Amino acid sequence: MLCTALAASARTRPHYGGTLRVEIRGDAWASNGLARRLVLDPLMELGHDGAAKPALAMRWSSQNDDQRWALQLRAGVSFQDGAPLTADAVVASLDESCALSSVSGTQTSGVLPQCPWSAVSSVGVSEVVITTNSPEPDLPELLAQTRFAISEKNSSGTIEGTGPFKVAGFSDGALTLVANGACWRGRPYLDSVEIFQHRSIRDQWLDLSVGQADVVQVPPELLPEAQQQHLNVLVSRPIDLLALSIPTRGEFADLNMRQAAEQAVDRTALHNVIFQKQGTVTASLLPGWLSGYGFLFPTARNLSGAQALRGGAFAAPVTLSAKGDNAILQLAAERLALNLNEAGFKMRTGLSNAQSGLQLRVVHLGETQPRAALDEMLNAFGINVTVSGSNPEVLWGVEKTALQNATVAPLLWLPRAWASGERVRDLRLSPDGEPMLADVSLEDAK
Amino acid sequence: MTLRQKLLLMFSFTIVAIVAGFACTVSLRVRRVFEDQNKEQTSVLVNQFQTEFAQRASDTSAAMDRMASGDSLKRIAFKLANGGDAASYLTIAATLAGEYHLDYLELVDSNGNIISSAQWPARFGYHEPAIAMAGAPAFLKEEPLPDGSSEIGIFSVRAVTGSKPVLYLVGGRVLDAKTLRDFAVPAGMRVFLYRNLGATFDAASFAGAAGGGDKAALYRHLIDEAIDTGRKSGEVIFPSARREDSVDAMAIPLKGQDGKVFAVLVVTNSRRGMVEVQNHIRAIAYGGAGIGILLAILASLWIAARVSGPIEQLARAAEQVAAGEWDARVEVRGKDEVGVLGTSFNHMTAQLAEQRERLVQSERVAAWRELARRLAHELKNPLFPLQITVENMVRARMLPKEEFDEVFLESANTLQAEIENLKKIVGRFSDFSKMPRPQTERIDASDVVRRVAALYGPALDEKRIDLRTIMDSEALPICADPEWLHRALSNLVLNAMDVMPDGGILTIAIARSGDVARLSVADTGEGLTPEECERLFTPYYTTKQHGTGLGLAIVQSVIADHHGTIVVERSESGGARFVMELPLVAKECGE
Repeated sequence: MLCTALAASARTRPHYGGTLRVEIRGDAWASNGLARRLVLDPLMELGHDGAAKPALAMRWSSQNDDQRWALQLRAGVSFQDGAPLTADAVVASLDESCALSSVSGTQTSGVLPQCPWSAVSSVGVSEVVITTNSPEPDLPELLAQTRFAISEKNSSGTIEGTGPFKVAGFSDGALTLVANGACWRGRPYLDSVEIFQHRSIRDQWLDLSVGQADVVQVPPELLPEAQQQHLNVLVSRPIDLLALSIPTRGEFADLNMRQAAEQAVDRTALHNVIFQKQGTVTASLLPGWLSGYGFLFPTARNLSGAQALRGGAFAAPVTLSAKGDNAILQLAAERLALNLNEAGFKMRTGLSNAQSGLQLRVVHLGETQPRAALDEMLNAFGINVTVSGSNPEVLWGVEKTALQNATVAPLLWLPRAWASGERVRDLRLSPDGEPMLADVSLEDAK
Repeated sequence: MTLRQKLLLMFSFTIVAIVAGFACTVSLRVRRVFEDQNKEQTSVLVNQFQTEFAQRASDTSAAMDRMASGDSLKRIAFKLANGGDAASYLTIAATLAGEYHLDYLELVDSNGNIISSAQWPARFGYHEPAIAMAGAPAFLKEEPLPDGSSEIGIFSVRAVTGSKPVLYLVGGRVLDAKTLRDFAVPAGMRVFLYRNLGATFDAASFAGAAGGGDKAALYRHLIDEAIDTGRKSGEVIFPSARREDSVDAMAIPLKGQDGKVFAVLVVTNSRRGMVEVQNHIRAIAYGGAGIGILLAILASLWIAARVSGPIEQLARAAEQVAAGEWDARVEVRGKDEVGVLGTSFNHMTAQLAEQRERLVQSERVAAWRELARRLAHELKNPLFPLQITVENMVRARMLPKEEFDEVFLESANTLQAEIENLKKIVGRFSDFSKMPRPQTERIDASDVVRRVAALYGPALDEKRIDLRTIMDSEALPICADPEWLHRALSNLVLNAMDVMPDGGILTIAIARSGDVARLSVADTGEGLTPEECERLFTPYYTTKQHGTGLGLAIVQSVIADHHGTIVVERSESGGARFVMELPLVAKECGE
C-alpha cells in the first residue's frame, strides 16, 4: 500500500525540465500574445472569479471616489537583466503601454481602448500613483491585462520583464523562451518554451497528433471535431464577440437601413451550422455570464420586419468584409451577405472600407468586470456612451441606448479553446481564455 | 470611230469577258471548295466539342454515381435519416468535390435544402431546385457564386437512396474557356465560348482557348442571334478592313434542359487562304486580260491588214472621187468580197470618169452654142441698123446732092454709133476673158460703200430711187482691191437701177458678222424667181433684154478672188438682195 501510495504521489508531483512546444495561428509577441504573458508580469492578475489579485503590485487602494489609485510595488523584484523593479520603471512602462495603445487605438485597429488614467507618477521607489478624470473602480482588473504588463528596454534595446521566462532567440520559425531562475514567483517547471507562430489549425492538430506539439489552438467551430478526435481540450467561457459593424454612411446612413440590416441577420444559422453550436447567440455587447441580462436583447431574425424597414429603396452595392484572414469569418460574412440580400440589400463579400461597408469582426473581451467590460466593448466599436455605474440595470440601460443606433449587431459570443498533448500537466486557462503556461510541467521531464 | 478601232474594242471586250468569266468561275469554285472545307472543319470541331461535352457529362455523371454509391455518403445519409445533425456536414461538400474532381458539389436534404455547398458554403439551408433532375442525364445549369457572379456548368444530380431518398448530390464541372483548351483546333480556326449569364450581352463572358476575348463585340450580333433563335447562325466577320483578316464564324447555342441557351460556342475559320487564292486568281486574270488586250491589238492590226486595210483604201479612194479625182483607183488583192468590192469600185470610177468626160464635152458644146447665140444676138442688133443705113445710103445716091449729103451725114453718124456699139460688145467679151488678179490692200469695207453711194447718189435721185445706207461706226478692215470691189458694187447698183425704172428703195448695208464683213444690196424691184436666183451668176445668163449676162459673173469672180462669197435672195419687200461676205483681217495684208 505504501509503495502504491508513493507511486501515485510520484505521478502527481510536477517535474522540472523539458521544453514545451506551443503552436499558434497568430503572433506570439502581440499585445495579448503568449510570449508577452510569459516574459512580462502585470501589476495585478485576475483570479478565477475575475477579481484582481496581487502580482507586481502587492497592495493598492483608491481615493477620491476611485479617481486616485496608489499601488505599492512588490519588493525584491528585478528584471531579467538584474535591474530592480522600481516605481519609475513601472511609470515608464505604463506610459509606453499607453503610447502604444493610443497609436493602436486611433490609427490601426480601434480595438484597444485608450488608457483610462490621466497621469501616472512615482512616489519614492516602490509606490506608483495613478490618477483618472472619472471614477475607475475597475482599474486593478484593467491593469491585469497583458497589454499593461511591466517591461523595460535594456541598454541594447531588448525588452526585459520580470516574468518566469526570458527570450532566448528566434530560429526556424520558433520563438524560444528559457526559464528565468530569478523570477520572483520562483523558477518555472519548464526549462524552455518554443512557440511556433503562424501555423494553420490543421498543421497544429497534425503536429499534436504526432507529438510534435504540446499545446495547440482549437477554434470554436472545430470543437466538436476535436472532441470526436478525443483531444484534451480546455475551453474558456465565451469571451470573443462576433459582431457586425454597420457604418453610418452611404446605404446605411439612414437608421431604418441599419435596423433593417440588424434584423435581417440570422444568428441561429451562424451558431448552429457555421460555429457548430459553440458559444451563445447574443444581441448584447456583454456575455450573459458576465452581465446577467444578455437574454433581454432579442436575437431572433425578423426578415419581414427588415424588408419593411428597408422598403423598396434603390439598393446600391455594398461590400461586407471579414476582418482578419480567417476562413470561418469569411464564411460567416458570406452567410450574412445572403441574409442581407434577402432583405433587399445588394451585398458583396470582399475587402471593404470599414467606414463605407459592413464589417464582420471578432472582439476579444479582456475585462472581467461588467462595467469595465462594457466600457471596453463600447470603445472597441467606437460607441461614445458613458458608463456611469456598475449596477446591472444601469449597464443594461447604457447598452440598450448604445445599441439603439444600430451601428453594431452583436451576433455570437464564442469561447477560446486549446488542446494539449498527453505529457502536459496542470494546463489551465486564464479568465481571458489564454493558456497559463508558466504553471505547466511535462510528464516525461526528468 | 474607225473600223480598226471597232475591231480592237470588240476583240478586247471579248477577251476580257472570257478572262473575267473564267476568273469568276474559278474564284466561285475556289470559294465553294473553301466553304465546303470550312463547313467540314467546323463540323469536325463542333462534333469534337459535342464529344468532349458528352465526355465531360459522362465523367461528371460517373463521378456522381461513384460518390452516391460510396460508403461515406451512405453513412451520412443514414445518420441524417436517423436524426443526425446536418450542420456537422457543412464543409464536407468541399472535401468530396476535391476528392471526386468536381468544380461544384452540393449536398441537399430530402426537402431540397442545401446541407453543404462546395462552391458557396454559406448557402446552406437555401433551396436547390435542381434535385428535380435527379437521375437525369447531365445538363447545363447556371451556378451562382458568392462574389455575385455566375458560372455555367455541366451538372448531374444523384440521390443517395435508402428506403427513400434522404440525400441528394448536385455536382458538376465548370464550362468555360479552359474547357476549350483540350480541343485539337486546326490551323486558322479558333474556338470561343460565350457564357450567357446576364440579360444583356457581356463582353467579359466571352473568351477563347487561346485568348481573343477582347474581340467579343465582333461576334455580338452572331451570338445574340443564336441566343434569340436557339439555332445555329453564321456569317462572315471582318475584324479589320483587310479581307485577309475576315473569318467565317458559326455560333452554336448550348441549351439547358428547359431550352434556355446557357452558352454559345463560336467557331471561326480564317478566310485568309481563300482570299489569297482569290487575289491570286484575280492577279492572273488581270495579267491574262492585259495579255489578251495586247493580243487583240496585234490581231486587230493583222486583221486590219487583211480586212480593214482594203476597206480603208476604198474609203480613201471614195474621198478622192468626192474631191474630184475621178481617176482614183484601189489595188485589188484576192478574189474575196473585199476584192470584188475593189473591182467594182474601180469599174465605177472608170465609168464615172467616162460619163464626166461626156458631160464636159456636151456642156462645152452647149456653152459654145450659148456663146454663139449670144454673140449672134448681140452682133445682130447693131448689124441690122448698119444694113438699113447702108441701103439708105445706096438709095440716097438718086436724091439731089443736098438731100444726099444730109442723108449721108445722118447715115454716117448712125454707122459710127453702131460700130461703136459693136466695139463695146467686143470689149466686154474681151474684159471677161482677160480679168487680171486683184491688187489687195488693207481697206475699210465701209469706204467702198461710201464711195459708191457718193458716185451714184445723183443718178439715183434722178430715177426717184431712195438710197439708204446702213453702216457700223466701227472700221471693218478687209484685204481687197478697192477698184475691183468698187466695180463689183457699182455693177450691183446699176443692176438695181435697171430693175427699178419707176423708182424705189435701194438699201446698201454693211456690218460685222462674226469674223466677216457682211455687205448687202437690196432693191424693191420685181425680184427673182428661184430658178433665176440659181442661175443668175452663170456667165452670159441675163434677165435683161439687152444684157450680156457677164455683169454678175464678173461680180462673183471678184468676190471669189477676195475669198468671199455672194448669194442672192428674195428680200422682205419682194425684191432681190445680194449678200456678200468678205473676211475681216486683223493684220496687214500679206502677213
